[in-house]
Amino acid sequence: MKRRDELIVGATIVFAAVVIAAGALWLSDTRLGGSSDSYQARFRTVGGLGVGNPVVFRGVRVGRVETIRLAADNWVETDLRVYAGVPLPPRSGIIAASRSFFGEWQATIVDLEQPTEDPNVRRDLEEALAVGGDVWPGATLPDIGQLTAQAGRVAGDIASISSRIQTVFDSNAVVELQDAIRDFTGIADNINQFTRTQTEIMGDVGVNLQQGSDVLADAALRLQSSLARLDSATSAGELSSIFANTAVASEQARGAMEDARALIGIVRANDSTLVRLIQGADSLIARLEQGTGTLGLLVSDSALYTEATLTVRQLRTLLADIQANPRKYFKFSVF
Amino acid sequence: MSALGRGGQFLGDVGRSLRETDTWVSLTAVQMRRIGVQSLPIALFIAVFAGIVLALLSSYSFTGAVPLYFVGTFVGKAMMLELAPVLVGLALAGRVGANIAAELGTMRVTEQVDALETLAFNPNAYLVVPRALAATAMFPVVVALATGLGIVAGWFTAINLLDLSSPDFVKGLRLFYQFKDVWFGLLKAMSFGFVIAMIGCYKGLNTRGGAEGVGRETTAAVVMGAEMILVLDAFWAVVLL
Repeated sequence: MKRRDELIVGATIVFAAVVIAAGALWLSDTRLGGSSDSYQARFRTVGGLGVGNPVVFRGVRVGRVETIRLAADNWVETDLRVYAGVPLPPRSGIIAASRSFFGEWQATIVDLEQPTEDPNVRRDLEEALAVGGDVWPGATLPDIGQLTAQAGRVAGDIASISSRIQTVFDSNAVVELQDAIRDFTGIADNINQFTRTQTEIMGDVGVNLQQGSDVLADAALRLQSSLARLDSATSAGELSSIFANTAVASEQARGAMEDARALIGIVRANDSTLVRLIQGADSLIARLEQGTGTLGLLVSDSALYTEATLTVRQLRTLLADIQANPRKYFKFSVF
Repeated sequence: MSALGRGGQFLGDVGRSLRETDTWVSLTAVQMRRIGVQSLPIALFIAVFAGIVLALLSSYSFTGAVPLYFVGTFVGKAMMLELAPVLVGLALAGRVGANIAAELGTMRVTEQVDALETLAFNPNAYLVVPRALAATAMFPVVVALATGLGIVAGWFTAINLLDLSSPDFVKGLRLFYQFKDVWFGLLKAMSFGFVIAMIGCYKGLNTRGGAEGVGRETTAAVVMGAEMILVLDAFWAVVLL
């Protein structure tokens, strides 16, 4: 009984051990009997890369990440187990990146002879390469979480813009836009009609311009003819004669001007006499306006005027009577 | 505190009894078969249905944004890290713990333990050490087989009941696999086995009051064993994960 127990227990333990070992090897995708090579890679950060993550080359799994450890000068070093016989590039690098949105990461072997387009990756690779040593340079792409966070911010901005557009572009805006489009259509029709009219006018203008051009050509011909005649006239001396007469007239005008200037000089020399004369006249006129003096009284008083007129009339009558009858008033006797 | 003190003293006595290899070595294989091999059916039964339920629950939960191949990840991780050790441990706490406590309790109340002592046998070396070693050694074996069968059951379920291909399930299974997942579950199972056996032995050897006392101590052994499994589960999660 005890022997049988031992056999059963032993078989169970062996079977369980085989299950554990085989399961662990199968799950870790370990290739028993297949040799592999170990490589080191250097990163500033490995992001979400973990032990056991696949190492791929041109999309094909060629190994796995063995270990990850912190190194000096703020570097992170990883050991990569790559299947033997894989034709790797002579100058290899590693890019750690997420495989999907769910936290799966992988290390991709890249050829350093073919530069990557991403400037950040290129900079990280060059920085790790500058350290030197028999270690592959590594770079890490942004985590999906960072990208989705960025996308989330962009989406939020778009949502905000959409909300604002929705707020502005309500039903009234639609109606107004329709009206605007309708108005624009009318304006376009008007412009079309205006353009057609203007085109016709421009046609008429063109015709008129043609005619005007003909007239101008005719006028030019006439002007040319007149100039020719003028040229012939000037050639006989008439124009010289006119200029000479004009010079004589101008000389006479200059003499008249000198006479006038002399007269003005005389007047300026007798200006005190003129001033007195004007002041006297002014005084006289002032007295006339005030009604003083003989003339003033005569002007201002109508009775005096009437009396004076009557007196003159009587004097005329008396003079006539004296002429008619001188003896009546004069008596000459010698003795 | 006194219980802790008695437990510590009992643990020390058992440790000293390990030197009596002539006594316990020949008895261990029998206990390993009784505790381990004979517990396989219940453990595998639990594991199969746990795997099926895990696959279905995960597919139900992952419908939508999460790709379905994560069913494999979930089944593998859950079985290896938690469900197989804990469910099997709880089941064996009932089966093994109760068995040990009842057996030793009966021996105590029927004065068989006293007879062993009279015959100059160390009861700890004769009764406790083989059971403790057998449980400690066989629990990981049982849990390992249960884990494997549970994953296979989940795999089978995913292929046949879910719209998931076998390569996809394997892809998910391998996705975040680490060897730590395996030994973490086995280490937990080992600790569970040791604790369950020790509690059963302690309760059984301290049984008083005849059949009623056997029943009481058996029940106490199962309850305490289950509690200690959960406490150890949390402890290992805090320490090792």
